[in-house]
Amino acid sequence: MDNRKAITIVTGFLGSGKTTVLARVLGDERFKNTAAIINEFGEAGLDHRLIRRIEERTRLLSGGCICCNMRDDLINALKEILNGYERGEFALDRVVIETTGLADPAPILFSILMDPLLTNRYFVANIVCCLDAANGELHLKNNPESLKQIAAADTIIITKTDLVEKEIVTRMRERLNRLNPAAKIFQAANGKINPEIIFGDGQNRMEKIYRRENFSEMKHADDIHSLSIKFYDALDWISFGLWMSMLLYAHGEKMLRIKGMVDVGDDGPIVINGVQHIIHPPHHLEDWNGEERNSQIVFIMKGLDPRRVIESLIAFQKILGSAPVIEEVTSNPY
Amino acid sequence: MCVLCGELVMNVHWTDQPLHDSEYRRKTRIVAGEGQRTRRRMRIKRVAVANKILSYYGLKLQDWNGSKYILSDKKGVSGVVNSLGDMWKIASDMCRRTLDPLDENFLQALGKAHG
Repeated sequence: MDNRKAITIVTGFLGSGKTTVLARVLGDERFKNTAAIINEFGEAGLDHRLIRRIEERTRLLSGGCICCNMRDDLINALKEILNGYERGEFALDRVVIETTGLADPAPILFSILMDPLLTNRYFVANIVCCLDAANGELHLKNNPESLKQIAAADTIIITKTDLVEKEIVTRMRERLNRLNPAAKIFQAANGKINPEIIFGDGQNRMEKIYRRENFSEMKHADDIHSLSIKFYDALDWISFGLWMSMLLYAHGEKMLRIKGMVDVGDDGPIVINGVQHIIHPPHHLEDWNGEERNSQIVFIMKGLDPRRVIESLIAFQKILGSAPVIEEVTSNPY
Repeated sequence: MCVLCGELVMNVHWTDQPLHDSEYRRKTRIVAGEGQRTRRRMRIKRVAVANKILSYYGLKLQDWNGSKYILSDKKGVSGVVNSLGDMWKIASDMCRRTLDPLDENFLQALGKAHG
């Protein structure tokens, strides 16, 4: 058995219904061995056995990049949970972390992946972002933090859909999909949602994207763009690692998100998933799950022209082993 | 801990992570040296590909005992590299500019040499 416990991170702007959704799913019998770490007590209130409240405390590291900060509060809470579990005080299957409305998920990921103990005892299985159907679009327009949360998400849940017209939800889904084509989007009325969506492995598979849009609708290069690229031949994993680490070294802060499945010529694809400089340990899937074999990678970038990324991939094609094919380029609809 | 220099290596860079990690973690018995051949092969390949990129900047990478890399320039300056995470930083410091895979001049040169 893999000895690591799954972590789900639930983000979302203030009042987006994070706590309501959590209260629902934590009440499910199947997920009773879930420890919850919360930053603030919302109005909804959680009634759960294993709750730990933490004060956000960030250790600034030299280097100064915003995403590479250690969240000491979180590291300690996760270690305490681990200690309690090892002492046999409670059963533990997974941990869910509810962030504050303004939190950037990148430092949370960074803390878990960079801590030598935590990285071997936990893995981040899913980053969920809640967005309120009534006020969500307003938040996205006015708060760059919430755009970051959407970009970093594996799963997006549109909440409070019972409060608005159906068309608004449909339009919102469509816009969110343009902002983050790699995320799966669900909706929840009154916090009703299948717990498996929250606790499932959001990282594992990615929806295939079958659309084409061109650069003509690009507003201006400074905005947020998402770029989906396919490769029809197998990529060389070593070369890909070199290209990608070089790109992240030079432009990591502008890369809000990278998610993809890379065909390296094996029986299954390698899943890569990254938020800014922080890349999850890539892992190999056993098979293609009946899908066609090709690599697909989504980049969400801010202030970087997607054309430059394409040009770089074209120049690197001999080294990488395959030429990039643009699937879709979209601009931030907000 | 690195046995060569006593340096604490706290994190494994994602490019060095074993791809079959979850499979490996499920194993109850692990044979010493298992997977070393693949690891060494990957390192040799990585050095070869990295040198295609680094040659534009006048730098050269070498494998050091399958444990570290040595990056050196043509003036005899060299540095120890743990992983790709710090290689780009050390390389950029050595040639006093940021190694950028989106840089047009670099891409043009790369296209000419390996296009």
